[in-house]
Amino acid sequence: MGKPVLVIGGGVAGIQAALDLADRGLKVHLVEKSPSIGGVMAQLDKTFPTMDCSICILAPKMIECFRHPNITIHTLSKVTGVSGGPGDFKVKVLKEPRSVDASKCTGCGVCSEKCPTKVKDEWQEGLTERKAIHIMFPQAVPLIACIDRDNCLYFQKGICQVCSKVCQAGAIDYEQKAEEIDLDVSSIIVATGFQEYDPSELGEYGYSRFEDVITAKEFERLVCASGPTGGHLNRPSDGKLAHRVAFVQCVGSRSHQKGYPFCSSVCCMYATKEAVLIKEHEPASDVTIFYMDLKVFGQGFQEFVDRAQSHWGVKYIRGRPGEIRRNPVTKDLTVWYENTDTGEVAEKEVDLVVLCTTMISRPENKELADVLGLELDEWGFFEPLDPVMNPIETDKPGIFICGCCHGPRDIPESVAEASGTAACAAETARRYGQ
Amino acid sequence: MKYALYLGCTVQSDQYGFEASVRETLPKLGVELVDMDDVSCCGFPALSSVSVTGWHYLSARNLAIAEKMGLDVLPLCNGCHLSFIETIHALEADPGLKEIVNRNLEKEGLHYEGTAKVVHLIEVLHDVVGVEGISEKVKTRLEGVKLAAHPGCHAIRPSDLQKVDDAENPQKLDTLIKALGAETFDYPEKIDCCGSQLAVSSGRSTLKIAGEKLQAVQSYGFDGLVTTCPFCFKMYDGRQRAIKGAIGDRSLEVPVFYYTQILGLALGSSPEKLGLQMNQSPVDGVVNKILGDDE
Repeated sequence: MGKPVLVIGGGVAGIQAALDLADRGLKVHLVEKSPSIGGVMAQLDKTFPTMDCSICILAPKMIECFRHPNITIHTLSKVTGVSGGPGDFKVKVLKEPRSVDASKCTGCGVCSEKCPTKVKDEWQEGLTERKAIHIMFPQAVPLIACIDRDNCLYFQKGICQVCSKVCQAGAIDYEQKAEEIDLDVSSIIVATGFQEYDPSELGEYGYSRFEDVITAKEFERLVCASGPTGGHLNRPSDGKLAHRVAFVQCVGSRSHQKGYPFCSSVCCMYATKEAVLIKEHEPASDVTIFYMDLKVFGQGFQEFVDRAQSHWGVKYIRGRPGEIRRNPVTKDLTVWYENTDTGEVAEKEVDLVVLCTTMISRPENKELADVLGLELDEWGFFEPLDPVMNPIETDKPGIFICGCCHGPRDIPESVAEASGTAACAAETARRYGQ
Repeated sequence: MKYALYLGCTVQSDQYGFEASVRETLPKLGVELVDMDDVSCCGFPALSSVSVTGWHYLSARNLAIAEKMGLDVLPLCNGCHLSFIETIHALEADPGLKEIVNRNLEKEGLHYEGTAKVVHLIEVLHDVVGVEGISEKVKTRLEGVKLAAHPGCHAIRPSDLQKVDDAENPQKLDTLIKALGAETFDYPEKIDCCGSQLAVSSGRSTLKIAGEKLQAVQSYGFDGLVTTCPFCFKMYDGRQRAIKGAIGDRSLEVPVFYYTQILGLALGSSPEKLGLQMNQSPVDGVVNKILGDDE
């Protein structure tokens, strides 16, 4: 039935769109730039408001994508050229070399165990290290090792080759080259997601100066059982268990000075979720959320916040902290704030501060928008045809957008939009198919 | 490196140690200082509560004199520095005001165009002379001395006008302290106000604010506090005895230095030439420690 559909981005939105289309009998090419699909959702510990284990509900979908006869996953790939129109897009995809033969690798992990080169683990948000040859995370799909050539001793200095010596499957292939693939597709779904705002420019919060001021995404790894501390809240500076934790809302969002003016839409909820997680780990913990307004509008969201307060004892203080300081001796942090309910200026000493940073657009959007001929808004998000009546269509017929590539949104909305774009893509395929 | 030296009222009326140490040390680093004739008060931003135009006129008058000399201005006081910076900004943003100011300046043959730049002492030392330029001239390294940096608010704020250093995380004064071989580290109260701006309206709050910072500095084990602002210095040094009384802490004892004073000790100048005998906080211990190491 007709030509395949191209899905760009292998996060939860891209995965959902691919599965919907594949289940309708359409062939799908799923293009992902990293070595594994899964996206940000795979990094999260739990999801709100149901407190499901994030990877537990995502991994089955990732596996389904991998096993589905109608889906072809292209990892380490990016779209470099698009021409034609709906029903007949000619797409060029550039596939970076993995340096590991995908047909031979069993995912045993011996290569990364023996690899001598340690580098920052981006997937663990830099909280720990990985090896130059690595499997992105335990549930990675495909479960195939990948050599990070920029850090590999063989590629940088021509020495080592330990991985090829220890690989029993003989899967290491240093000679792999980048290849360009031509695809012929009926429509395109863009699901490139977001990245987290870097709060370093907000000097008053001390991020990147104080190790124990971390972002929400870093916290997700810290609190996660598959994280660097096995889910124990050992703070980065000295490993002390963090029992007193402060969350700062609207970091980089709703700001007309530094940062971005828009609301990130998910922080009130994820901060509440993360606060409850701390309480679940240690009910005696002292957890405070500093907020401007609580924007909790989804189904069951307000009840979730109410329960965090009444059942778990999470404290909510209305006030935007003005400064975070660190005691040079104890490394403890002091949050200075004005409680705008009482008008009092006060300080609170904590072990760990979590900055609830805004979602921002991915820098690659610019290049991709040029390739696709799409418009970006002033913040680098993809522009829909009409924000009210055609939110997932673009002014290019046959190209659809879903998830955080066109603004901050939560997982349920991203998934719903993904299904929407899948329906649109299927309709395009039907209309132009023979 | 040649600057028009603008001393300002505080330095000329009671902070002689600052002037002495600046005149002693900067030429040693190759910085030539030229005195300005006929200058007036910087305008002091507080004058704006009476007359904004009057403030900018006074401030621009000094800048016009520097323009006439063809030199950039080095004001010694953080307050004067801020006043000049604000005036440059205001006259650039409001051509009408600039015209009024110039009409008055013409009466004494002066003209403000905005060509003279205003530089801060920290900028001259850190950005122009540079850490290497300083360390290669150091004769007595201040080993084993722990000094807390206090840049002072008006050197770094408001952050959208002042570009001397990062308003939230100032590091240049720390770097300069380290260039002399002394030790320093960040402490939470580093960018806290000295309180002196409140002195007129609320004397007790002033002493409490200053006292809390001095107590903190002492608690982290610093041997002394270093600043480049005469207003802050006056507060911490001159009023330290009053602060002790106001907060009821008899053990409070923090030697306070101008950066140029410890710079001078490192460059081999005698304490007298640096005006250290005029510091009212107990600086002798640290001075002897520095000089003793040399002998």
